[in-house]
Amino acid sequence: MILQLKNIFKWVNSGGNRVFLLNDIDFTVNEGEFISIMGPSGSGKTTLLNVIGMLDDFNEGEYTFLDEPVHTLKEKHRARLYKEYIGFVFQAYHLIDELTVYENIETPLLYKKHSSSERKAMVADMLDRFNIVGKKDLFPSQLSGGQQQLVGIARALVSSPKLILADEPTGNLNSTQGEEIMQLFKKLNDEGVTIIQVTHSETNATYGSRTIHLKDGLIVNN
Amino acid sequence: MIKNYFKIALRNLLKNKGYALINIGGLALGMALVLLISLWVYDELTFDKSHDNYDGIAQVMSRKTRNGKNVIRYSLPYPLGSELRANYGENFKHVVMSSFHGDNVISMDDKKLSRHGGFMESGALSLFSLDMIYGDWDALNDPNSIVLSQSTANSFFGADNPLGKTMKINNKLNVSVTGVYKDIAHNATLNQLDFIVPWELYAMSYPWVKAARDTNQWDNNSYQLFVQIAEGKNMISVSNNIKKVIFNNIPEYGKRDKPELVLHPMKNWHLRSDWKDGVNVGGFIQYVWLFGVVGLFVLLLACINFMNLSTAQSEKRAKEVGIRKTVGSSRYQLINQFLSESFLVVLAAFILAIGLVFLVMPLFNQLSDKQIVFPFNSVTFWIISVVFIIITSLLAGSYPALYLSSFRPVKVLKGTFKTGQSTTSFRKALVVVQFTVSVILVIGTIAVEKQIDYSKNRPIGYDMNSLIMVQKTTQDYDGKYNMLRNELINSGAVLEMAESSSPLTDVWSTTGGFEWEGKSPDFITNIATISISHDYGKTVGWDVVDGRDFSRTFATDSTAFVFNETAIKYMGLENPVGKIIRWNNQEHQVIGVVKDIIAVSPFEPVLPTVYTIKYANTNWIELKLNPEKSAGVSLAGVKAVLSKHAPHVPFKYEFVDDTFAEKFEAIERIGKLSTIFAFFAIFISCLGLFGLASFMAELRTKEIGVRKVVGASVFNLWQLLSKDFVKLAVLAIIVATPLAYYGVTKWLNNYTYQTEVSWWIFVIAGIGALGITLLTVSFQAIKVAATNPIKSLRTE
Repeated sequence: MILQLKNIFKWVNSGGNRVFLLNDIDFTVNEGEFISIMGPSGSGKTTLLNVIGMLDDFNEGEYTFLDEPVHTLKEKHRARLYKEYIGFVFQAYHLIDELTVYENIETPLLYKKHSSSERKAMVADMLDRFNIVGKKDLFPSQLSGGQQQLVGIARALVSSPKLILADEPTGNLNSTQGEEIMQLFKKLNDEGVTIIQVTHSETNATYGSRTIHLKDGLIVNN
Repeated sequence: MIKNYFKIALRNLLKNKGYALINIGGLALGMALVLLISLWVYDELTFDKSHDNYDGIAQVMSRKTRNGKNVIRYSLPYPLGSELRANYGENFKHVVMSSFHGDNVISMDDKKLSRHGGFMESGALSLFSLDMIYGDWDALNDPNSIVLSQSTANSFFGADNPLGKTMKINNKLNVSVTGVYKDIAHNATLNQLDFIVPWELYAMSYPWVKAARDTNQWDNNSYQLFVQIAEGKNMISVSNNIKKVIFNNIPEYGKRDKPELVLHPMKNWHLRSDWKDGVNVGGFIQYVWLFGVVGLFVLLLACINFMNLSTAQSEKRAKEVGIRKTVGSSRYQLINQFLSESFLVVLAAFILAIGLVFLVMPLFNQLSDKQIVFPFNSVTFWIISVVFIIITSLLAGSYPALYLSSFRPVKVLKGTFKTGQSTTSFRKALVVVQFTVSVILVIGTIAVEKQIDYSKNRPIGYDMNSLIMVQKTTQDYDGKYNMLRNELINSGAVLEMAESSSPLTDVWSTTGGFEWEGKSPDFITNIATISISHDYGKTVGWDVVDGRDFSRTFATDSTAFVFNETAIKYMGLENPVGKIIRWNNQEHQVIGVVKDIIAVSPFEPVLPTVYTIKYANTNWIELKLNPEKSAGVSLAGVKAVLSKHAPHVPFKYEFVDDTFAEKFEAIERIGKLSTIFAFFAIFISCLGLFGLASFMAELRTKEIGVRKVVGASVFNLWQLLSKDFVKLAVLAIIVATPLAYYGVTKWLNNYTYQTEVSWWIFVIAGIGALGITLLTVSFQAIKVAATNPIKSLRTE
């Protein structure tokens, strides 16, 4: 078991009413799973992903990540956890525009204690693995969407996380590019990386081992 | 890691060139100004410090009580020096009597030069710790010696060793060179001291000095006295110990003034030279602090711009912050990143600032009358610079760093991130501060200029056109008045000639002891006494308002008095013409009253003044040049005549209007400096305003797009966007007005003759601030308002 959510609630107060973004979420993820979260707009998919990624708070419930009770941890401790074990992939890639491909992939390593030669080796390995060695000195704006997402994934993977959180990773891509990315995820999952993705696409969901459907913050089937 | 920070900082700067220009340029201007001001303040604060005994040196002054008021005098009696040495010796290391320094003719063979110097007791060299190139501190022991400054020695002997060479002073006394000292530092009171001759020579060369010495005149104050207090003594106790020395020795009538000796320490000579009611009350030091504070404010303005522009960039940087946080950056690391960015900017600005300072140094020196050299090889300077850079980086970078690093990744990455209202108001507050400072500086500058204008327009009481003065440094012209006058007038070079004891632009002597009918016995008179020749009035063109001018047709005029109007008021005389005044046991008839002549300070009341005919007493020749000839031709004519009668005296003259204009130099310098400061402050504030305007426009892009779609014109939008800034400018004006009013009123109190603080000064400054605001903001506003709304709405 890599993480477990128990009775997670998250709400906002709007005009005196409590609007639930997450409503009594119970949910366990085991190592090696590839989970797809689906649901209509506003159903709380991204919120759930952010809660799992510890980027967002929740109001009630228990969240255990690798046997650590996240709900009791301090911000600093939490940051250490996700820095160590979680990699993020975004719909809009979110690469730093002012950095080259190489530097973007290197960034997570800068925030860990890696020597310069270690970093070089790890980034080179990623470039190699994704076949983008020739693009390492280009800036994000010089790449196609698919290539940018490739860099985004490489960045997420460079520090060998246990869990990849992907928020509609193919949402901004055409179908060919999207399929390539999904194949890549499949391959990574086969290599043992746990993946949770948010997606609108039934096709993409089929790559996963399990699908969770959300509606109005509630899990409607599991 | 640091490398990565700098890399991204550099790329960010290159990407946003305009922003980088405003940021680095503005900061560089601010820093350049701070550097200049710091160097200037340092130069002022180290004034006179080139003397090793800086802490122990003092000038002895006397405080006298006249009609209930205390006055301070530099001039002291001859026997005071020996008295202090003989009976109060344990207080002093050195007691050095000195003449007042002035221009004297020094000559060797045919070469003659006019140089500034004086007679001093031999301890002077050691007291002022002069840096001797030839000879030593005993060089003045021989009464027939002269000690020269290096530059004076150079102009006579070049690089040769001048020791033992014989020279002449004032074409009369033979002296031999016994020492040469390095020129005294530019920022020293004695900077102009070109030579020193022994004190003994003073009495030997002037009968009145000899008389003062031989008859032990305690009531003739014509000399200065410098002392160095003994080790372990302090100024106050020594000052108290010698307080009564004059009082105890002066003849009975002099005791009425209750003379007291006061020590004026060297550290106060330059910066605290003002006395009010006999108490040292400060002086130039107030400008030193004022400009120091202004410098800091200008730097603050530049730092505020940095903060403003950095936070205005926040939306652009927010995404980066979000990404960095999700890939594992801690807040602390982000703070470090933004601080190193600000460090980079500050460093670039500093390098630019040093370049700027280096470029404008000559101009600045000229404006401020300084000889400041950029301290490139001073380790202290560089250490302070590093500290300065770090402090500025922190000052400018801390807020953006804290603010930017606080972004929550979920928010900023969702794309819905908008900078909050709170930071906008913080930014607005900063802009108000900037404009307040600028408006205060502008009002101050206008007030200074107005005061200059006001005092320049004060009627001076005579006609200074084509009027020159020549000081009689030797006795070559004595007894030749009529001959000189005839020759000069006949040559056609001058229209009229006169002589006087004081120059037109100063009062050299004031005396008391005037008695008249109806005078209260308690009234101790003190009246400026100027001895003149008969033609003085005609030469200077004074204005007789009552009675008549001196005339050769009345033999009795040799004892007659002409007063100025202030003197008549001062004495309380009604119908003064014809009245008899007793003075020095003689009766003098008042024959006329003239309009006040501003001789001393254009900012102070004119001294009550009496003019008498006394040819033997004159030191100055006044000449009215012939206006029908060019000044060059007339001067050549004057030179020919004067040189004929005194071939060894170099022809040295001054135009009265030039000398008079020098009285405004100090205040004009202040005016120039404050103009520069105000200009910089406004410029930097405008940069800040421009930055804020671009930011606000960007923030409201969507709103503007919507408004445009529903039919707003460019003019409507311009109004909308400018309105906010006009409000800020008005607020700044409201805050600045009372502060500036207070400051200006306080400053004007330095001057007895002061201009009014008129309302229009504030109106002009206000309208100016508003105009500049509109101009700066409009550029952005119109640009945004003219943008196609499809662009701004597409992203939603």
